Amino acid sequence: MIIVPRQDPINSVIAFLKRCEDALLVVLLLGMIGMAAGQVLLRNFFDSGIYWGDSAVRVIVLWVTMLGAMVASRDDSHIRIDLVGRFLQELDKPLLQATAARINYAFTCLVLALFSWASGQFVYYEYVDQSIAFATVPAWICEAVMPFGSGIMALRYALHVVKLP
Amino acid sequence: MIWLGVLIILLMAILGAPLFAVLLAASMLGFYSADIDLAIVAIELYRIVDTPLLVALPLFTFSGYLLSEANTSTRLVNLMQSLFGSLPSGLAIVAFVACAVFTALTGASGVTIVALGALLLPALRQAGFAEKFSMGLVTTSGSLGLLLVPSVPLILYGVIAQQLDLGEPFAIVDLFVAGVAPMLLMLLMLSAWTLWRHRDGAIPRVPFKWRNVGSALWEARWEVPLPFVVLGGVFGGVFAISEAAAVTALYVVLAEVFGYREINLRQLAKVARESMVMVGGILLILGVALGFTNFLVDAEVPQRLMALMQEHIQSPLSFLLLLNVLLLVLGAMLDIFAALVIMVPLLLPVAVGYGIHPVHLGIIFLANMQVGYFTPPVGMNLFIASYRFKKPLTELYAATLPFMLILLLAVLIITYVPFLSLWHMG
Repeated sequence: MIIVPRQDPINSVIAFLKRCEDALLVVLLLGMIGMAAGQVLLRNFFDSGIYWGDSAVRVIVLWVTMLGAMVASRDDSHIRIDLVGRFLQELDKPLLQATAARINYAFTCLVLALFSWASGQFVYYEYVDQSIAFATVPAWICEAVMPFGSGIMALRYALHVVKLP
Repeated sequence: MIWLGVLIILLMAILGAPLFAVLLAASMLGFYSADIDLAIVAIELYRIVDTPLLVALPLFTFSGYLLSEANTSTRLVNLMQSLFGSLPSGLAIVAFVACAVFTALTGASGVTIVALGALLLPALRQAGFAEKFSMGLVTTSGSLGLLLVPSVPLILYGVIAQQLDLGEPFAIVDLFVAGVAPMLLMLLMLSAWTLWRHRDGAIPRVPFKWRNVGSALWEARWEVPLPFVVLGGVFGGVFAISEAAAVTALYVVLAEVFGYREINLRQLAKVARESMVMVGGILLILGVALGFTNFLVDAEVPQRLMALMQEHIQSPLSFLLLLNVLLLVLGAMLDIFAALVIMVPLLLPVAVGYGIHPVHLGIIFLANMQVGYFTPPVGMNLFIASYRFKKPLTELYAATLPFMLILLLAVLIITYVPFLSLWHMG
């Protein structure tokens, strides 16, 4: 008899959200390719194009940036200047290593939370201004990915601090 | 109070906090100390949207990831082998060229060593090359091609340099053309040394056969047009770089998924996700670094650095020598993107002050980084090769040494002969 481990409902919700995040990232990239390549084809062969197409592609780049960075925060695979880290690894002192990592995570979480708040303010100003990014899409919707993404990343780094042994 | 903040941030950088967090903290602290609303940092990050060139980055990165997931490496080597394999020491020259092309497409992320190295190493041994030579070749060639279009670090340098706007405007295509001659110089010097080292004729020559060329071309039929589309489009002025990147991405998807059927949709999604996680990391750093750079410029840091430098170093020649040493060390220690984002905004204004053209500096910068990749003791290629081929690091240090000396000589020539990089700039 095979015993299936009971799935914790919270974990399965988290797993589902992660899959959504991955799927959105893939869809955004494919959308970017389709849109950007479509513009080239339209312009060169049909002498036309969507006039807000290029702006939309550039907004997608920002979204891909934030989403990609969010996914990278799951297992903290961001680029770093790893001078002490390598040295600590060779020392083979797990407690020291864990402490250093914990300080890193806490710092990153704090910085991200601050940025999330600051970019939230920016988005709010733009919402009040009712400025337009492209076509009829308001700028604040395009910008909202910054406070949202950095907020999620801050949460993830907070979890990293707690999860360390 | 501010200095305490600076100290903490520096400490966190050394301790290994993510680079984006370090730069974000630094620019927020900077703007806070200048009494500027912190929302400015978000405005700076949002400038990603105002930089059309940046669209090229995710698209080229994705194409590179997709090509390395498919069997492109095998087809590339086969094609090069059928064309150049009959030359004396042919396979070694094939290896140099193939690695350069593959690295330009995929970035020097170690993919070249993992994908091409595994293919070339046994082939080189079989063709009669010594193990030490083969190992050194594969390890050093993992970053050869950094100067060739459409290498992502080259584009990133262009983005950063153009943002700085130092009164020496250049088109991104100028940077691409500039990389060609230095790249060829490196290839020529490496090939010449290889020929000289094997001048005794111990390596048997493989006869040239049109039939082999034909079958290799047929194998690579979907991929052979790609360089012509990209290079022709960009240099012929048909499309902008970002458009070439879009066409490339679309073309590579069509070729690998529908032409060769080597990548199924599930794998395509996996490659898309992986490449975009990489891109997210790089662009986030770039975006926050743009804010930090602006703060530095406002605070006149580059000018002060410049004044300080000129007090001690008068001649551009000694500045360049110092620059080479600094970049080699940085290239060995820092990730290439980290080095670009941190050092270019500081170095470029100083270099321009010494009369060095931004395009030339870009080539010098990347050429040094390329050598830094296998500079002992911590160059990244050495670790990747050691892990991949299960060889001790010390053995790789010895194997790469002759290649490193040759490429160092090439870097010096590139540095002191600006004509190699600037011949097309008038």
